[in-house]
Amino acid sequence: MKHIVKILSLLVAISAFWIGLLQAAIVPRSHTWLLPIYFVVSLGCYGLLMVGVGLMQFPTCPQEAVLLQMDITEAKEFFRHKGVDVGSD
Amino acid sequence: MELADRAVGLLLSSISLSIFTYYTFWIIILPFVDSDHFIHKYFLPQDYAILVPVFAGITLLSLLSVFIGMVMLKSKKKKA
Repeated sequence: MKHIVKILSLLVAISAFWIGLLQAAIVPRSHTWLLPIYFVVSLGCYGLLMVGVGLMQFPTCPQEAVLLQMDITEAKEFFRHKGVDVGSD
Repeated sequence: MELADRAVGLLLSSISLSIFTYYTFWIIILPFVDSDHFIHKYFLPQDYAILVPVFAGITLLSLLSVFIGMVMLKSKKKKA
């Protein structure tokens, strides 16, 4: 509930700022009308950028992968000796 | 497979950066340029600058709700 209140108050503050900007006419009028959609698009763009950057920097651990495969085969052998059906190999 | 990951990440970031620069140009810089400059040829009329993101957003929301609805229907059918 507190989260929703926080997000709503943020939205109200931003819209108040936008309406104030409209009234004061510091920036040209046509620009001010387009400002919300510009921010939404740039937010989406920023999210996409962060996803791309995270993908590029994701650390793979080849040694851990090899160790994991060894663990898996070891566990499968163990269970096969105990009589449990370990399925496909 | 980290090369494929890197390539996809690079593609995503380049797409996002290009969309951001194009849109920034479209909305902010182009109104200040004289109307007989050559660069206006590369940009669609400014009404599209609003229609295209709104349309894309609405499409995204509808696809999302269709997906959620299908998942909910499938789970209800499985329980019944």
